[in-house]
Amino acid sequence: MMKLEVYDPAMCCSTGVCGPEVDPALVRFAADLQWLAEQSVTVQRYNLSQEPQAFAANPAIVKEMEAGMDRLPIIVLDGRIVSTGVYLSRDQLARKLGLGSTEAAKPAGSCCSSKSGCCS
Amino acid sequence: MTLPVADTRYLFFTGKGGVGKTSLSCATGLALAEAGKKVLIVSTDPASNLDEVLGADLAAAPTPIPNAPGLFALNIDPEAAAHAYKERMVGPYRGVLPAAAIASMEEQFSGACTVEIAAFDEFAKLLGDPNATGDFDHVIFDTAPTGHTLRLLTLPSAWTDFIASSTGGASCLGPLAGLEKQKALYAATVAQLSNPSTTTVILVGRPERSALREAERTRKELVDLGVTNLRLALNGIFTALRPGDPVADAMTARGRNAQLDMPKALADLPRTATPFVPAGTVGLDALRALSSDRPTAPLPVAAANTAANMPGGLDPLIDQIAAAGHGVVMTLGKGGVGKTTIAAAIAVSLARGGHRVVLSTTDPAAHVAAAVEESVPGLTITRIDPEREVANYRDEVLAKAGKNLDAAGRAMLEEDLRSPCTEEIAVFRAFARTVEDGKDQFVVLDTAPTGHTILLLDAAESYHREVMRTQADMPEAVRKLLPRLRDPDFTKALIVTLPEATPVHEAERLQRDLARAGIEPFAWVVNQSLLASGTEDPLLVQRGQYEIPFIDRVFADLSPRTAVIPWRTAMDG
Repeated sequence: MMKLEVYDPAMCCSTGVCGPEVDPALVRFAADLQWLAEQSVTVQRYNLSQEPQAFAANPAIVKEMEAGMDRLPIIVLDGRIVSTGVYLSRDQLARKLGLGSTEAAKPAGSCCSSKSGCCS
Repeated sequence: MTLPVADTRYLFFTGKGGVGKTSLSCATGLALAEAGKKVLIVSTDPASNLDEVLGADLAAAPTPIPNAPGLFALNIDPEAAAHAYKERMVGPYRGVLPAAAIASMEEQFSGACTVEIAAFDEFAKLLGDPNATGDFDHVIFDTAPTGHTLRLLTLPSAWTDFIASSTGGASCLGPLAGLEKQKALYAATVAQLSNPSTTTVILVGRPERSALREAERTRKELVDLGVTNLRLALNGIFTALRPGDPVADAMTARGRNAQLDMPKALADLPRTATPFVPAGTVGLDALRALSSDRPTAPLPVAAANTAANMPGGLDPLIDQIAAAGHGVVMTLGKGGVGKTTIAAAIAVSLARGGHRVVLSTTDPAAHVAAAVEESVPGLTITRIDPEREVANYRDEVLAKAGKNLDAAGRAMLEEDLRSPCTEEIAVFRAFARTVEDGKDQFVVLDTAPTGHTILLLDAAESYHREVMRTQADMPEAVRKLLPRLRDPDFTKALIVTLPEATPVHEAERLQRDLARAGIEPFAWVVNQSLLASGTEDPLLVQRGQYEIPFIDRVFADLSPRTAVIPWRTAMDG
């Protein structure tokens, strides 16, 4: 089973509620990770302000942060860094993971009610 | 004059800074101790002067109060508690993670929410654990948790794995994610608070219209949360000893009118009243006087006493502001200190000097603004309605972010949207739009974001710019805001305070918070000074004397420029 880890910058919330504008990219990314989890990918997300131990325990991540905080977010697939400084789109994530077409998976929010499970 | 009746084990005093929560807590505690009870007074107010009032060096454990057998007190600073928490979280990573990472982590633990939750954590240790205070007949708190904190902690979703889930949660609880372990303790605490046979919550207010409106808001919020054993304590009742002094007569009338116009639900609460105390309530004798039926006798004072360097009024400041020809003036301070009045006075004066001026006010009554609107050419008035700004922001967030959340997640998001931080952010957006107008005229605002909000938004902004490689969502006005606020030629920040202990403490904290965001105030305005009012009423003259050390301290230690404004009736909206 593939494991995808995301090292987020320090955020008090991952929806961007705390920012001057809600960030649709962050909301979209959260939904994309949910989708990946449904494709049997183990997804783990770390927020610098809440789970610093995960950053400190990974020398490759520390090295990236030393090069610049704008390297965050860092996306790691099975222990290997696959992207820095960007939240990949669903298509990009699917390609990195070698998953098939994402056509079958409609964007979250349109496919079902919040109660049916695929969006929750 | 009477103190609140203490027929429950726990008593909470709640109200804005400076209304007399600490004085009433101590007077009530002292009266109970003198009736033979064993009493613990707890302060969780970061601006607390409990040590001074009780004349004892307090710590985080119960300390006996000299000359008051049975009376104990302890002092917890929630900012210190929040700081300790931050150190526990961040400390181990100093030298391990890069300095920039440490700095960004630290800012996340510096917000109002972190302090609020840390304060609740301290309440919970005392309230939720019967053994913590088992020796005492009564436990008195000089502050109460906010409605936001209580609602947040009673949400089932706050305790699900939502916070820690892989999609990550929005939440004011986020910075204190470790507190999930406390679930049982917090539940017990919330249950205690709403149990009328064990807990009384006392709303403290001055006999002023704005203070009573605030008390009514708190009352409603608490009732909605199921906290029903409420009382009202009116503190600072003043009646002129002899009619004839204009200041004393105006103050008497203001108090009487405010009580007559009190919101009905508030007026229906069991009520007590305590007198205006001219010299502050420091020491046990002063506390006893609060429950005495004898009118407070003024002490003889040397008429020549005045502040070491009595600062003048606003005019010299306005001349310096006018010299720039354009820019932003903002008045900052806690509610009730008179930010709107000061902002209006500055705006009118600048406009009369021939400048184009926009006065932007959040004052819902805006009667000051209405009065000047027609008479001053060059002055335009715009209003920022905080409630509308918050509603717009909430709708926008729920539309964009809420649709991807399940019911529990959405409940959490909605509660976060009711946090004090959210209101700040929502008003901030209106604020940012208005600051933009200061390029070619004067803009005077009676509201401003805190340093924490500015830093968070700055971080969010650079994050957008550098990480998302897009500026699409970020209005130009927001991007330029921080550099403009930091530019002393463009922005003049005025801290408004009152010549009293708690408001000056609170203003100092505001100044420190702004300093973190790299903003230095242009001046301090000490408002509603009886010393400067010219009153000859003996009690009010004595009150004026009490103001001297605070005015001196602002002038000498805190402020680059100081103005002192005499007490005026028009202050009370």
